[in-house]
Amino acid sequence: MEMGRDLALLAPELTLAAAAMLMIVAEMFRAARLVLAIGLAGLTAATVMTLPMPSVDATVFGGTYRIDLISGWAKLILLPGTALSLLLVRAEIAGRPREGSVQSLVVLVTLGALMLSGAGDMMVVVIGVVLTGLGSFALVAWPRDDAATEAAMKYLVFGAVTGSVMIYGLTFWFGGTGSTLFSGLGQLQGQTLVTIAGLIAIIVGLGYKGSLVPFHFWAPDAYQGAPVSIAAYLSVITKAAAFFAFAQVLRDLPRDGGWPLALAVIAAATMTYGYLAALVQTNLVRLIAYSSVAQSGYFLMGIVALGASGFAVPGILVFAAAYVAMNLGAFAVVLLAGRDLDDLEGFGRTHPWLGAAMVVFLLSLTGIPPLFGFVGKFYLLSAAVEAGFLWLAIIGILNSVLALGVYLRLVVPMYRELRPGGTQGRGNPLTLAVVLVVLVATLFMGLAAGLLPGP
Amino acid sequence: MPLLTIATFLPILAGLALMALPDRSTRTAHAVSIAATGAVFLITLVIWARGIVAGDFAQVEEIAWIPAIGAAYRLGVDGLSLPLVLLTSLLFLLSALYSARVGERAASYVVLMLMLETASLGTFMALDGLLFYVFFEVSLVGMYFMIAGWGYEERQRAALMFFLYTLLGSLPLLLAIIGLYLGSGTFDMRVWVEGTTLGGLPATLALIAMLVTFAVKIPAFPVHTWLPAAHVQAPTAGSVILAGVMLKFGTYGLVRFAYQMTPEAFAQAGLVILAVGVVSALYGAFAALAQSDLKKMIAYTSVNHMGYVVMGVAIAALAAEPRIRTIALDGATLQMVSHGLVTGALFFLVGMLQDRAHTRRIGDFGGLLGRVPWLGWAFILSAFASLGLPGLAHFPAEFQIFLATLNGMPWGLIAILAIVITAALYLRAIAGVFLGEMNDKWADMPDLDRREKLVILPLLVLTVLVGVAPSWLIGMIHTTMTGLGN
Repeated sequence: MEMGRDLALLAPELTLAAAAMLMIVAEMFRAARLVLAIGLAGLTAATVMTLPMPSVDATVFGGTYRIDLISGWAKLILLPGTALSLLLVRAEIAGRPREGSVQSLVVLVTLGALMLSGAGDMMVVVIGVVLTGLGSFALVAWPRDDAATEAAMKYLVFGAVTGSVMIYGLTFWFGGTGSTLFSGLGQLQGQTLVTIAGLIAIIVGLGYKGSLVPFHFWAPDAYQGAPVSIAAYLSVITKAAAFFAFAQVLRDLPRDGGWPLALAVIAAATMTYGYLAALVQTNLVRLIAYSSVAQSGYFLMGIVALGASGFAVPGILVFAAAYVAMNLGAFAVVLLAGRDLDDLEGFGRTHPWLGAAMVVFLLSLTGIPPLFGFVGKFYLLSAAVEAGFLWLAIIGILNSVLALGVYLRLVVPMYRELRPGGTQGRGNPLTLAVVLVVLVATLFMGLAAGLLPGP
Repeated sequence: MPLLTIATFLPILAGLALMALPDRSTRTAHAVSIAATGAVFLITLVIWARGIVAGDFAQVEEIAWIPAIGAAYRLGVDGLSLPLVLLTSLLFLLSALYSARVGERAASYVVLMLMLETASLGTFMALDGLLFYVFFEVSLVGMYFMIAGWGYEERQRAALMFFLYTLLGSLPLLLAIIGLYLGSGTFDMRVWVEGTTLGGLPATLALIAMLVTFAVKIPAFPVHTWLPAAHVQAPTAGSVILAGVMLKFGTYGLVRFAYQMTPEAFAQAGLVILAVGVVSALYGAFAALAQSDLKKMIAYTSVNHMGYVVMGVAIAALAAEPRIRTIALDGATLQMVSHGLVTGALFFLVGMLQDRAHTRRIGDFGGLLGRVPWLGWAFILSAFASLGLPGLAHFPAEFQIFLATLNGMPWGLIAILAIVITAALYLRAIAGVFLGEMNDKWADMPDLDRREKLVILPLLVLTVLVGVAPSWLIGMIHTTMTGLGN
């Protein structure tokens, strides 16, 4: 009886897992189109099954996995995001060897991301981190050239070290509460040392996944070495999942351990460092990589306010949805334009619609209203202010100006006169379709924010 | 009929329609632009005819937007916003007429202009804090692309400076809005303007944030440095909109947000604000005196005129007597409108001069009055208005501000010195450009054509009308300001 209820609640995850298995089988027959079709069907089916669920608040398998607001919305954000990423992957590497493997790995990593988003237990977090990690390493290494191999190696070593630190640190929480369930973390009240030890573990493990400073070093290299579509995928899906996991873990932790302050400092450092580093990049992928590091700092503002502001969880969810849309969009345009800043020269004049779309994505990343990114940032800033972190909100706001400086470095050359010999070609229709979808979301979801969770 | 909504969104919808048209030639673009801005102007006249009420917002239009956080789409007008709405729709119509000769990427230019009109009207009419901020920021983006795309030589740098400066300036307002929201649980500005949402330290912090934002936008000394750069590089219509409409966001916000929403903190900071106003007025005048570039000179006189507005609002907070407070607010609001009319005309005229001569240096001209009498006399009339001559638009406004200052804080009258300096600089400019020896280079300069006369005449007529018989305008302003003064 109990088991039956649990399995029904897990239908989206099970569907996705089944799809991933079928994709691997289809890949054995080298049927790349079939792999893609199964993947898209699985993702769509899982999304549809989730639609009636956001109001559910339950746990399954003895409290180890949560079906709640966060994990429900995580599915509604991550599954469509993954589907769009699959299309980008198809557009970029269609016909190349092992295309189907890349597609299957993407879906498997997303399964790991869902585990993270619904984690109610330390071991589920560990499984999620490992599942997302292993798949990601392989995805980054896929091009098999020196840059990709080096990036994947770096990513792997970084992941292995932070993962071990996390597992070691989590044992303190297990020792303190006698259980691996997060719902028992309330018992840590007063055990400051134990709280801190476990917290460091979580910050290291998930901070690496979410590319928080100072655990971000792998990100620019991995994004640059990987195919652009994989960089796009990793920068949105695994990152958003990391912050959903953060929210699942820390919302049960008593706020008295001083961790909000520690995370606030990391948030401030992450956004400032990310944008400063982005200011000096000339490689587009690296530039967006550093800008995504900075965006992690904004995510963290919501984590800081967990339990102290009604805006915290909605802020993380809305910002995640916005971030998936706008960052995928920016990467998709890079896929069409080229990986170098010089490739954008005159791009807005030769491709007026794509240029306008890129401007919208970048303004949304800056947080200019009424775009989607603004609503997310607004919730997060409100959360920080309400939680008493006015200074963090001020730093967040100052960084928006820095962000504008970063993004205008892309916008300005786009509208310069085209140098002779510039590209004129039309884009891949799949990529264009992805751009269109995320453009509509970025433009209008801000105005339709009433549909998304609010405080 | 939701006329406010129609007026606000008609321009952007026309812009979108233009983008969808298969024929996006220069001619079609400008036709769409003139038709849309003309229609909006007529609609705002109807809004005016429908009237306002004392002590509240009139013609409110409201639809739920994000119910979870109490944000809604809310528009309305009162005696503070309606004059600015009328000014906005008029200046956009005239700019559309003037711009009809812009040939470079005309369709994009028109779309940006129309987007700016939507943002400007929305900023003045929004009664929801979040909605206000949305319009406020969209105007910034529009103006950035306007300057960067159609400006003069150094436009990229000027546009970047404008964008970074005013974004840095406007973000503190976001914090203030968050504070007001957390204090009241709604984004309804009608609740906020009651002035009881915040008190004590939060009110002071919110006020500081708002003052930073609006001081940059106004612009007040010492955060005015973006203005000359942006004006000099902006295309003519961009300058007109920037000076005539967008600077008013600052003074409008000063009254609507700072003065109304945190009244006690504002009164405590009144002396500082008054000092900022006085210094801006004097500094703007002196800086204008030092310019040899006509456009830069007029840009600096904006700092001077906006300084008077700041003084008026500060006096309204400081004065004890309700009568004085009302006079100060009446004067400050009228000054916003007058400045839009007069400075709008001056920027148009300098633009017309530059179209002919491709220079704006006073020293390059001379004796033009005989050659281009229309242009010359129009400039002389506007210049006289700008220096505050009785019978022209600035006089009734500045008179009320100074009258209130005399009754409230007599030392503030030191700012009157600025009028003398302004008079000197305008007379010098008139003498340098239109009088004296004629430079042979300009011997065949054509006078204003029909279209240019059509652009400039309404502004001149209104300048005289507001100067001679301001009661139709002051009456509307006064309806609301009596309530604010008490």
